[in-house]
Amino acid sequence: MYLFNSEVVKNQKLTQNIFRLRLKAANDFCRAATPGKFVMLGSDDGLFDPLLRRPFGICRWGSDWFEVIIKVVGRGSSQLSKFEKGVSVAVHGPLGNGYPNNNPKNDQKTLFLVAGGMGIASIASYLFSALDRNQSLAGTFLFYGAANYSELILLNELTAADAFGLQLQTITDDGSCGRQGLVTQLLTHELQSRPQSQVFACGPEPMLKSVQKVLLEADCDGYLSLENRMACGFGVCLGCVQTMINKDDDANVKTAKVCTQGPVFPARQVIF
Amino acid sequence: MVDLKVEIAPGVTLKNPVLTASGTFGYGREYAPYFDISKLGAIITKGLSWQPKIGNSGVRITETACGMLNAIGLENIGVERFLTDELPILQKLNATVIVNIFGNNQDDYANLAAKLDGIIGIAALEINISCPNVKAGGIQFGIDPQAAAKLVAAVRKKTSLPLITKLSPNVSDIVMVAKAVEEAGSDSLSLINTLIGMAIDLDRKRPVLGNVTGGLSGPAIKPVALRMVYQVAQVVSIPIIGIGGISNARDALEFLLAGATAVEVGTANFINPRAAIEIAEGVEKYLDEQGCVKVTDFIGSLA
Repeated sequence: MYLFNSEVVKNQKLTQNIFRLRLKAANDFCRAATPGKFVMLGSDDGLFDPLLRRPFGICRWGSDWFEVIIKVVGRGSSQLSKFEKGVSVAVHGPLGNGYPNNNPKNDQKTLFLVAGGMGIASIASYLFSALDRNQSLAGTFLFYGAANYSELILLNELTAADAFGLQLQTITDDGSCGRQGLVTQLLTHELQSRPQSQVFACGPEPMLKSVQKVLLEADCDGYLSLENRMACGFGVCLGCVQTMINKDDDANVKTAKVCTQGPVFPARQVIF
Repeated sequence: MVDLKVEIAPGVTLKNPVLTASGTFGYGREYAPYFDISKLGAIITKGLSWQPKIGNSGVRITETACGMLNAIGLENIGVERFLTDELPILQKLNATVIVNIFGNNQDDYANLAAKLDGIIGIAALEINISCPNVKAGGIQFGIDPQAAAKLVAAVRKKTSLPLITKLSPNVSDIVMVAKAVEEAGSDSLSLINTLIGMAIDLDRKRPVLGNVTGGLSGPAIKPVALRMVYQVAQVVSIPIIGIGGISNARDALEFLLAGATAVEVGTANFINPRAAIEIAEGVEKYLDEQGCVKVTDFIGSLA
């Protein structure tokens, strides 16, 4: 991982409170990025206000830049969302484990990507990584849910992935785009005809909990990308730990650091 | 070049006065990818208990104005695993290691001290009598001068290692506790641990932290810490290690001026993994520019 001061290349407003920030990065950083990894971002003004850096999934990257999607939820995200071109930003990353590699055997299988709300930033990193490397997305489904049509971001680019074989299905709480309902309904439905699929999911905790339930009922493996409050992002503050089943002893639980042991975990291990 | 060596306890001379605060530096190796941790005065490990501890459930951290609240609950791997898995790595990294210990009762502390006595690679013990986040995790000793003194005396009997007692600011008079543990045989003092605080989620009408209250750290607490270090320095003759919101070299130098022989960098390590080494380098640069020959000349030189 790298520690450096970067510069905003572009700040694109996607919705009223969601922004897409493109930052400069060295080649080494970009080579170390993989789908599902994240960065800690903060101001480098030395004022420590806001104090802590904030975690953001690396959504897309090129040879000398990367992008994050920032939803304004508090003071940290608010500050970052206002950074215009040329502003300096402190970057620490890429951090975390990211999604597992789909090995050739898995490539035969169907891949279900499940994204809820801002979880799309992480899930899209998998798709963009494939698009930017001209990899086929045949057999890949994206189930993407949000509160309403205006909260569905990146739709143009995701729709363009059709050409690579991606099958996109959207669903909204209010039915303003796609079906009305929850994203897990789409997963449940498709899993019935393809029970041996690989699944990657990212979204709010209630959604992930429900994805886990669907997977367990279908006896299907899958991975959940978790989010938690963290101060450091590299395994020392212990703020972000998640309770997990202890593999060595099923009767026991253990904690895992979302930042360094995750954020992506086998769905079966997570205890919500 | 300024001589940065400081003696924080009898026989414990550090190459410079910048240490890392327990609970903010993991077991040390987590920082090795970012800088050579042997270049710090010392590293103080995450508080160790006899048995491993899983810590608190629910939300554990939240940011506040220029600070953060934590309620981790002393999660740690336990002394046995520290000795087998972590200490050898720290030795390989050539780090100067101070081990922070805590327990539920006096026997726990005494047993830990006895266990760590004579182990190569440990420069000193820091006794945590001040964690605010667990019901029995030291603070019951830290708020009462007599209980603190009794505990330190008990630990003193079990180890020849130099003892640093980490004090709580959550007391009516920290000077009384400082004097009591000095008399009981503590070789030095480190202060302050976090201040007990609380955050409330207005919309959900709930405490933010799973533990309800947590320990406040970061720049927000620096003025309180500085005042306490200054007050304690007036009355004790053992070395003091200043802690509390130190985020850059100037902060560290202010603590030295107030009478601290050394400082511990805490929350700043989370924000910038290189904070501690950058502070050590900054202290050296500043003192060089001031024409200071020895850091010990600077310590306590507040006008």
